[in-house]
Amino acid sequence: MPRWGMVIDLDKCVGCQACTTACKAENNVPHGSPEEQRLRREIYWNKVIAVTNGKYPQVSTELIPMPCMHCDHAPCVIVCPAKATYRREDGIIVQDFRRCIGCKYCIVACPYGARSFNSKEQEEKKYHRHDPPPDRKVWGPWPFPSRTHGVVEKCTFCFHRIDQGLREGKKIGKEVVPACVEDCPANARIFGDLDDPQSDVSRLLSSRGWIRLREELATKPKVYYLPG
Amino acid sequence: MNVTFSKMESKSRGFFILTATLGALSLAGFISFMISYIQGHQVLGSGNVIPWGMPIVLAIYLIGLSAGLHILAFFIHILGRKEWIPIIRMAVFMAIILIFGAMVSIALDLGRPEKFWRLFMFFYLNNMTSMFAINAIFYSCYLAAASIYLMTLFAGNERLSKIMGMVAFCWAMLTHGGTGLIFGLIYAREPWFSALKPFEFIMAALTSSLALLVVVMFVTFHFTCRQSRKELVISLGKLVAGFLLGLILLISVNELVHGYKPGREASIFMLAGPFSWQFWSFQIFLGEVIPLFILFHPRLGKTMKGVVIASALVVIGVFFERYYLIIPGLAYPQSYFPGKIEGIYGAVGSFPLTATEAVMSVGIFAFVGFLFILGLKHLELLPVDESGGQMPAPEKG
Amino acid sequence: MNRRTFIKVSVVTGAAVGASRMIGQPNALSALPLQKKAPHVDEEKWVATSCLNCPACCAIRVRIANDRAIKITGNPLSLTSEGKICPRAHIGLQVLYDPGRIYFPLKRTNREKGKGSDPKWTPLSWDQALGEMNQRLKSLRENDQPHKLLLFSGLNTASSRDMIARFAGAFGTPNLVSENGLDAETEKSGNWMADGHYGSTAYDLDHTNYILAFGADLLESSRPLSRFLRKWGKLRREKPNRTKVVVINPRYSLTAAKSDEWVPIHPGTDAALAMAIAHVILSENLHDAAYVNNRTAGFDAYKRLVLGQYSPEVVSKVTGISPESIKRIAREYAQTKPAIALRGKESIDWPGGSYASYAIFCLNALVGSIDVPGGIIYQETPRYKDMPRWVEDDIAGRGKARSALDFRGTDQFPLAEVVTNRIPESLLEGVPYPVEMAIGFNSNFNMSAPGAERWDRALKKLSYYVHISPFISEMALYADLVLPSTTYLEEWGYDHSPAGSGFAEVKIKQPVVLPQGDARSITDIIFDLSKRLKGPVAQSFLNMGDHSEGFVKFRTETLMPWKEWIGKGVWKGKEYEYKKEKRLFATPSKKFEFYSGNLKALLTKRGKRAKGDLDFLPHYQGVKFLGEKEKYPFILLPYKPLMAIENGSQNYPWAQEIFLPMQGIGWDTLVEMNSETAENLKLRDGSAVWVESPFQKIKARLKCSEGIHPQVVAIACGQGHYAYGKWQKGIGVNPNEIIGVDYDRLSGQAAFFNTRVKVYKA
Repeated sequence: MPRWGMVIDLDKCVGCQACTTACKAENNVPHGSPEEQRLRREIYWNKVIAVTNGKYPQVSTELIPMPCMHCDHAPCVIVCPAKATYRREDGIIVQDFRRCIGCKYCIVACPYGARSFNSKEQEEKKYHRHDPPPDRKVWGPWPFPSRTHGVVEKCTFCFHRIDQGLREGKKIGKEVVPACVEDCPANARIFGDLDDPQSDVSRLLSSRGWIRLREELATKPKVYYLPG
Repeated sequence: MNVTFSKMESKSRGFFILTATLGALSLAGFISFMISYIQGHQVLGSGNVIPWGMPIVLAIYLIGLSAGLHILAFFIHILGRKEWIPIIRMAVFMAIILIFGAMVSIALDLGRPEKFWRLFMFFYLNNMTSMFAINAIFYSCYLAAASIYLMTLFAGNERLSKIMGMVAFCWAMLTHGGTGLIFGLIYAREPWFSALKPFEFIMAALTSSLALLVVVMFVTFHFTCRQSRKELVISLGKLVAGFLLGLILLISVNELVHGYKPGREASIFMLAGPFSWQFWSFQIFLGEVIPLFILFHPRLGKTMKGVVIASALVVIGVFFERYYLIIPGLAYPQSYFPGKIEGIYGAVGSFPLTATEAVMSVGIFAFVGFLFILGLKHLELLPVDESGGQMPAPEKG
Repeated sequence: MNRRTFIKVSVVTGAAVGASRMIGQPNALSALPLQKKAPHVDEEKWVATSCLNCPACCAIRVRIANDRAIKITGNPLSLTSEGKICPRAHIGLQVLYDPGRIYFPLKRTNREKGKGSDPKWTPLSWDQALGEMNQRLKSLRENDQPHKLLLFSGLNTASSRDMIARFAGAFGTPNLVSENGLDAETEKSGNWMADGHYGSTAYDLDHTNYILAFGADLLESSRPLSRFLRKWGKLRREKPNRTKVVVINPRYSLTAAKSDEWVPIHPGTDAALAMAIAHVILSENLHDAAYVNNRTAGFDAYKRLVLGQYSPEVVSKVTGISPESIKRIAREYAQTKPAIALRGKESIDWPGGSYASYAIFCLNALVGSIDVPGGIIYQETPRYKDMPRWVEDDIAGRGKARSALDFRGTDQFPLAEVVTNRIPESLLEGVPYPVEMAIGFNSNFNMSAPGAERWDRALKKLSYYVHISPFISEMALYADLVLPSTTYLEEWGYDHSPAGSGFAEVKIKQPVVLPQGDARSITDIIFDLSKRLKGPVAQSFLNMGDHSEGFVKFRTETLMPWKEWIGKGVWKGKEYEYKKEKRLFATPSKKFEFYSGNLKALLTKRGKRAKGDLDFLPHYQGVKFLGEKEKYPFILLPYKPLMAIENGSQNYPWAQEIFLPMQGIGWDTLVEMNSETAENLKLRDGSAVWVESPFQKIKARLKCSEGIHPQVVAIACGQGHYAYGKWQKGIGVNPNEIIGVDYDRLSGQAAFFNTRVKVYKA
């Protein structure tokens, strides 16, 4: 069984935020407004944070893209009471809108701020791709459209692409990758099977020093960073 | 000692006005809930940084108020302290409606309240590593146990009362300890992660329940023309003071340990950050320092008025403790990466109190009050003294 | 067993069961099965076209499902950026479906023109609109005054630009004003003085090992941006030698954050620094002697000047950079081969910027980085099929012989091809002659040019202005007639990137969806106008396809068969040829000139007496600021963040919500100031401040930053819109409003960075 992970090379990353934008387009993630940003209600599946250290003129700013870490020991999976968020066998942490009761415990528990709550009905309900996340199309009649207010959403590692790719017999990590990986102009994001020693991610992780965010919390995130 | 209980006489105008007001406020709360249900949580103050708002604060507050009341069961049945018997029914009834109100409050805070039933699918559709799911078991069993306990009290069966009293007490402690674990097990949030959280919560529950009991008892007896027994109130006050000291001890130890490593910055944020004025003025000064001063004062601590005022302040103070834990606790920005995180991702969270949320909160309180009044009217909860002299006597009026 | 025991046992058992499930694998929850195939989609396809959210025009593929564009990604056939696109390209979806777009022609009914007044647009048909335009255009020609037509050209496709230029030529007006004068004309003039090519520079980024960037925001506003973004990844970690990048900029830009070294220079002194680096290279004999001796001219004069006046110790006082740093950087630059010295707006959009540009450019020749792998390369232009010579009658001939409104090529601006920012004065003063009619194609100069307020006054004065763009921009607010053009995703066209790849590359533009509403492409509008004008103008547009699709087919016939072309979307020219040696330089000596023979010849021809040799050598001219230092202690640095869409609108939430990544905010503009400076002024981070220049003032929130020179105040461009748009109106401020008017005299480039300001609490 593959264990999907991602490597982000901070030396190659140009901080352009194409990953954030491509993800929004691919998954029809709702955009915010000035009001929503002020109230911190904007929905981001991928965000790029800037971290500054030092004083003028010895200042340094790191730009760090943060998707969902799809932790192997995910705090969100531990705390979800309704089994709405769970770890798939291939390592992807899935969010099932049908089961989500909107208790927001997972948002509280996520150490990476990867999750967002849908606090209002969005104008664009349907996903731009036509194979949206698990919802009533899979489970029969249940009165929720593809996106509804009151549930939590987050990055999915574009598993719709992965599943489609597997059905078509394509190589995941080379021919089929998540939208943020595909549209990164600097090729700073690499996706693949962490358990496959031949994959690009394994090769990169063995050739350079890597870090993961908030390692001390032992969440075992599957997004690795190669420092610049 | 022979104590009988009676229903409240409910003919006075005050009763009708009070009931009507509480009913109206509850209805207003319900309407604002419908507004948030239809329009989404954008009408509330929560966001992605502080996802939990007043309904959750109220929920844990009400659970605390509820759970602590069963310490009286412990005193009566195990320690054999008979002087608490007159108020035990009222106390247990309060506990039941408070836990019910708390569960309603949790249901109202859900993003999709119509799916609340999923919280009760124990072991079947629930993920039992989640403290929410475990707590659902606790709350349900506790509610059942407390209700059965009340029924045994009505039946007058001493042996059953003793058993159910202890069962209810155990469930009460598990319940509120479990509530504390909801927060204590979240290692992502540094102000919360602590093994002491269940005990902090239990201590806060004991303090606030008994304080609430003092206030409610005093007010209820006053309005139903009964005389509160001074020794009862004073000894309750002493219990409140004792538990309050315990609470202060636990909070201090918690912050002290966090003040070392890890989570030192979080501790400083909670004690000296932008919201700490709320901590110091409401929770500590108003809710702990002044009550302790009153309760340990040689003269004030022995008056009924003093104890009642101190208890009222404790009730308010513990509310702010719950609030301060959740909302400023969540406002502390998570440090994804060492250094200063720029802009919105590193900013302290903010929580505007919207009208809808305020009305909903008041409505929940009003709802619990409304149930209490109805209970007093229709159930035999209030004590009546037949032998005379030792118990409060009903006066005409 | 009694009841109590039973209860106790059940509780304990239950807890034990629960605990075992808890303590076991938290991951071992059953996975839900994979979902079934999605519901039926009527039609889905990928269409190859190209972007137009900035002049780079990257090749993209757009996914269409049920007649709706739903995703944009790169076209792997485009090697300019190796198939990659920048984030702005994705935002094209919001450009196409912008809720504030206009879909039919509009006529102004409220005669009063101004920032706050409502034009009270009424719709009219295309026929009426074009008929009205035709009337006026016709009368201009009949009165032998075709030169009184002023054409503004903003961000347009190459095909639109070709059409507009042809129209100007056939109609007979010399007054075609593009946005180039607001961009980086000094780069071109600096190049021209050295090698005779009045054009932007291309860099062989695949092979370079050292980049010395003067004021260049490579990762934010370079052109073509996607190329720099892709090559950055390649240069850092996809080749054996990791390229070192040094950024010289008063502001700690995103580029500086990603590079190896940030050199915070005093604003406007880049020329001095470049000359000092040359000093070190020459005094330590680190230059490429073979190249300099064989391929360059004027070296001796240059060397004398450099060694005589630009020692690191002297320059250190001017630039604020220590002599040790200057020497170290110079040695690194010269000894890491191949190396590139490149410049961006922030170092050369100054008075005297042409010489700064020249000085920096010369550093490349010093180390032999001209037309070699990893150095400066020269962009090949694609060979479209030639359009037939247009038909020019006497009216047109006379019109075009008139001097242009912006005084380009005159003694005022001898090298200038366009002096965009000079137009307001010309319009307001009526010199060299008043203008009767103006047409703007996707232009928004009263937002993007310095001294925006005078643009407003000048536009107000225009008697008849037609604006053509998909939305009502700030410039359109002054229009008498607005024509809705298509966005780039709905039209036919062809494009080639600005200088970058070296090899030529043409990208097609084809409609991915039918034009929304009643919008028409600029090419079609011009074809229509020309037909109505009849006569030589109409004849000039015959036999070229008659409409936009036909025109594109006509012009790109030479590239590849049509079916293949619309399928692939990208045509690539032959591989780049390095070391063109003798064929490369358009200079009198046919070599790279450190002493500009071109400029000398030009000025001599005009009868201008030079002040001395210094006029023809790269040098540092000293900075002339607008505003006195005592009253206005800080220097304003307006910069363009990546998320600023360059089409004149910012009404795109995806761009707005992540507008400033270094500051972590969106939906706003910040006044970035050094934190120590702010502390001295007792200004708090996040408070509202006024930034006042000698000309205007604007109010915004302060950001105390460690990443900016203590005397510099940086403000991002791209916000401050007021014309239309729920997602941009009233958001942020536009620093161009407070910038004074100044030029680089040689090239006519508007100076953006020499305005002084003061900052105080609001």
